Amino acid sequence: MLPLSLLKTAQGHPMLVELKSGETYNGHLVNCDTWMNIHLREVICTSKDGDRFWRMPDCYIRGILLSIFGSQMSLAKSDIDVLHKVIDKVQEESKTRADRKPPGVGRGRGRGREEGGGARQVKGIGRGGDDAGGRGMGGGRGRGTSSGRTGSSRGGRGRG
Amino acid sequence: MSGSRKETVLDLAKFVDKGVQVKLTGGRQVTGTLKGYDQLLNLVLDEAVEFLRDPDDPLKTTDQTRRLGLIVCRGTAVMLVSPTDGTDEIANPFIQPDGA
Repeated sequence: MLPLSLLKTAQGHPMLVELKSGETYNGHLVNCDTWMNIHLREVICTSKDGDRFWRMPDCYIRGILLSIFGSQMSLAKSDIDVLHKVIDKVQEESKTRADRKPPGVGRGRGRGREEGGGARQVKGIGRGGDDAGGRGMGGGRGRGTSSGRTGSSRGGRGRG
Repeated sequence: MSGSRKETVLDLAKFVDKGVQVKLTGGRQVTGTLKGYDQLLNLVLDEAVEFLRDPDDPLKTTDQTRRLGLIVCRGTAVMLVSPTDGTDEIANPFIQPDGA
């Protein structure tokens, strides 16, 4: 289970992306590449402080600037933990990839490291398909707190 | 897959001569008409307008703008590209009506 293959599997699914700058983007993943550049469709952008929102039909984001990926469906706590592990791996991977060889060449390295958990993670992501209606709940990542509704006591990430 | 070239996920060809919004690393935000681009994501924007930023928080843009004219955006600094067409500021879409 490679982070990038997970990402690829997530194509077509709703996802939340946070940039290093703190802005979050919720949208459907259209495409991604080996640099983790991503193309999202029907995006809702949330400003860093969480009080301004924009809708955009399309957007292209540079992989190197991403800090967090998550699927924004409602996930059980355990799933969220798994997801965080995946996210950490993704980040590590993107770092090491950046200072090693051109992406694409090294694909397949590290395969089989985590075979066991692998299948589950895919499922977690895949679930979003029919759950897309739930969009909007996880969105703010608890940022909506200024409005007092979302991100209450559940520890923040993902959904309120 | 439509793109034979692996490095571009998004086909910028469809944005040529259309308005695009570009965010750059460091927080600058520019809109303009996309006139050209290359595979490194260097962009040529015409009639570019930069959104000036809050001096206290450089990551926050204000409604003040400055006109830049014809510019090149260095690809390495480009963080996000999206079409201006259809991009609007909206009310918080995440508020849940039932407070659940």
